[in-house]
Amino acid sequence: MTTRTFIKESKEMMRDGRIRIAFIIVILLLGAAVWISMRQYQNVNARYEAAKAAEREVWDNQGKKNPHSAAHYGTYAFKPKYPLSLVDQGVDKYTGTSIFLEAHNRNEAQFSAAADQTGLARFGDLTPDFVLLFMIPLLIILLGYNSFTKEREMGTLTLLKSQGISYWKWIWGKWTALFLPILLITSVLFLVASIVLSNLQDFGVFKWESLFALFAIYIVYYIIISNLVLLISAKAKKSGISLVISLCVWIIACLAAPKVASNFAEDRYPFPTRQEFAASVLKDKKAGLDGHNPWSKESKLLEKKVLEEYGVDSLHQLPFNFDGYRMQKGEEHEAEIYLKHYNHLKDQYIQQSKVYRNLAFLSPYLPTRFLSMAVAQTDYATHWDFADAAEDYRIATQKFLNNNFAQNSEYGNWSYQADAAFYKQLPNFEYDPPELNVILNRNSSNLMVMGVWLLGSFGLLFFIPKNL
Amino acid sequence: MFSYNFKYELKLLFRSRWIQLLSLILLLLFGFSTFNGKQKVEKRKSVIAMAHDEVRENDTKMLKLLDSLQRGMEVSASPWTLPTRPMAVGNYYPRVAAMEPQPMAFVSTGQADLFTHFVKPTATANDFAMNFTEMTSPVQLLFGSFDLAFVIVYLLPLLIIAFSYNVLSAEKESGTLRLLAAQPISIPNWVLQKLGLRFFWMAVLVIVALTIVLLIMGIDILAEGKLYLVLLAMVLGYMLFWFVLAFLVNLWIGSSAKNAVAMLGLWVLFVLMVPSVLNQLGNTIYPMPSRTLMINEMRELKAEVTKKQDEILDNYLRDHPEYAINDTTQKRSFWHRYMASQHLIKRELEPVVNTYEEQLKKQQRLVGRLKWVSPALTMQESLNKLAGTSTSDYESFRAQVVTFAETWREHFMPFLYNNQEFSSQDYSNLPKFQLTQQSFSPAVAFWPLLLISLGLLSLGLLLSKKGHQKFNLISS
Repeated sequence: MTTRTFIKESKEMMRDGRIRIAFIIVILLLGAAVWISMRQYQNVNARYEAAKAAEREVWDNQGKKNPHSAAHYGTYAFKPKYPLSLVDQGVDKYTGTSIFLEAHNRNEAQFSAAADQTGLARFGDLTPDFVLLFMIPLLIILLGYNSFTKEREMGTLTLLKSQGISYWKWIWGKWTALFLPILLITSVLFLVASIVLSNLQDFGVFKWESLFALFAIYIVYYIIISNLVLLISAKAKKSGISLVISLCVWIIACLAAPKVASNFAEDRYPFPTRQEFAASVLKDKKAGLDGHNPWSKESKLLEKKVLEEYGVDSLHQLPFNFDGYRMQKGEEHEAEIYLKHYNHLKDQYIQQSKVYRNLAFLSPYLPTRFLSMAVAQTDYATHWDFADAAEDYRIATQKFLNNNFAQNSEYGNWSYQADAAFYKQLPNFEYDPPELNVILNRNSSNLMVMGVWLLGSFGLLFFIPKNL
Repeated sequence: MFSYNFKYELKLLFRSRWIQLLSLILLLLFGFSTFNGKQKVEKRKSVIAMAHDEVRENDTKMLKLLDSLQRGMEVSASPWTLPTRPMAVGNYYPRVAAMEPQPMAFVSTGQADLFTHFVKPTATANDFAMNFTEMTSPVQLLFGSFDLAFVIVYLLPLLIIAFSYNVLSAEKESGTLRLLAAQPISIPNWVLQKLGLRFFWMAVLVIVALTIVLLIMGIDILAEGKLYLVLLAMVLGYMLFWFVLAFLVNLWIGSSAKNAVAMLGLWVLFVLMVPSVLNQLGNTIYPMPSRTLMINEMRELKAEVTKKQDEILDNYLRDHPEYAINDTTQKRSFWHRYMASQHLIKRELEPVVNTYEEQLKKQQRLVGRLKWVSPALTMQESLNKLAGTSTSDYESFRAQVVTFAETWREHFMPFLYNNQEFSSQDYSNLPKFQLTQQSFSPAVAFWPLLLISLGLLSLGLLLSKKGHQKFNLISS
């Protein structure tokens, strides 16, 4: 019975002109989206490589100069694009791509793509994740809204009942008929993605298991949507009503819920404004040691402590340049202040994530969106990871420079210049994004929410509409 | 026939609880979104007020310090932060360059969550590295805000679709179409009247609900009477467009479900597809040059400039003989060299930096020309303009801030190069930032929307009259 229902439904779908058109549209959209994303990925990464190399060259060739001047001149950390952004662009557009690493200051990532675009960018982009998250659920609705209602409308329900059909088998047949084309289209997309990805030059960053994880996430998402659509179709009295209800669910889940969630999150756990943040950092900085200010109370304290430690009575007798030493201590103090303030920011972000998770019962879209971005390494957590790595590198660089200053010159000698070759010894900035199992661990609650949706929607579909 | 239709339609809408349900939904949607919008505006206002307060406080401190210094008293601040030094005033006592919210800012978040609403440019600030983006979670930027514009642009058409997709097909499906055909009115006329009435009732509900919500939220619609009417006119124009679409779909397409699919297809096309395709088009035709490569260029220039600081200073002073003319000491410090180098860097980088704003303007013009393809896009853009949160509003703010930063910097140059001390008499001459708002022609969206709608309507009526038999509604 299941197979017969399946065959009949599939035939009907294939013969329906609207469905053929919808399928063609979705495939065309996906094709265009993949092509655009691929080009963008290649462009961005070519520029990234060029910028990284050029920046390093500028650093290496800065010539003889005081290490602290070099520290102020600073260097840049650039954020690469990861291969799976081909599938999901996530928040990449809204996060900055380059961080200026200089003495005394932790800077935010600058130059987000969205800031350089028109207001149109806020409507969304033609990317695979747009098709995967918004359009394919619409396609499922289009395929399935009249799955049960049409039996009622065409009067075939009575015939079916006289067949002594098992309710479960019947639903199962309808379910497979609805889901198979979706599975097919998703598989094709991921197949194309895997072919494109395996032809990439920096193939090493790309991991097959991440692509499979993404595939699984979307499949579960579509199963949930299919269940909901069939449930609505089984409960509704007319096709038109079924369609309208399904669409309401789609709008609430995909459009309204994320916006409502973002308003709640911002209201309850607001980020400081850029100016507020800078002001509170500055306040803390003023209260502590400033490497450039030898007259402050904290500097005098440090002086006393160091003199006692080395058992000498003047800074000139120290085996190193105290200016450099103070500079490094000041740097360490400032790094601590930044850590504190950025940790506060991170707390707000973690609390916000919880708000999104709590509202996920309204919408299977939310956990899917977050999981997909996370696995594709285009989410906010990855950005934090990158920014933290850049900050660690900045602190290490300052230490490298200040130590050279302290050890190779004597107190008061600000005209000291380190050799040109010295700057070439600074290690490169390397950043590896988190591995898949770390990402999945971090997102375990999102996985759980999706699991609940999956089981819950199956339960509803198979146990509720017995009154057909 | 019309009066009969009018009475019957009203009764029908009431008894099917459509009017009650719709009023409730509209009140809820308008209420929640206006609340969100208002909250954002208030936060924006308080942040700017705080910034002004801070400047006032610092200024008082500065004046006290200046006073003590002029009387030759000892002060406890570090020597390089003393406000007698012009560069210390320029760097440690900046002015606020703020963008106050417009009266209708609550309508649309627009780009307001992406950009900051005030900056304090210092004398040494790099114009091109000035950060105008706000510290927002990118997840929030991705999802966007549930504002009034979202309700109007995205959700209102869906309510209209739900309200009108089966006006004719329901009659057919319940078998009453034959009765209707026996009445002395043509079917297209009848559908037109029926949808016209529904448009009328929905318009009444929207106006009433919106007015109630705004009054409850404490928004003074009388004071902003003109802008409020503009908002209503735009909303009505946009609603009219969707009703006209509903009319055409009702006439030409068959069953209720097919109508709904067709209307939704149009919704997806206008609201989701056209904007993203146009955005892609803009980016492809006028691509933004890479920011990372701009950084490279800037860095190389800086490295070069630092090596030749003395030479640059000499050249600079040769170009600006007015500076340093009254200076007898001819003392040259770090700042003299630094500011001259900055000046050079700025001049060299200006063309590179300007390409970004120029490309953005070109993209903006392209959107302006093509936005009529999608009424949703037209509507969003116009609402952003009305709220003062559109891309061009922020672009103009940025440009004005950069000009102000220049004024601010130049204000201190004679002091610096004349080695002249800053004194409390000079305080009142410090430049202040004054934002000039962009001129906004409010009715800009209404007339084209009306025109498009009426054009479509007459086209529909013409075609339906011509091929009246072709529709043959009863037999199909």
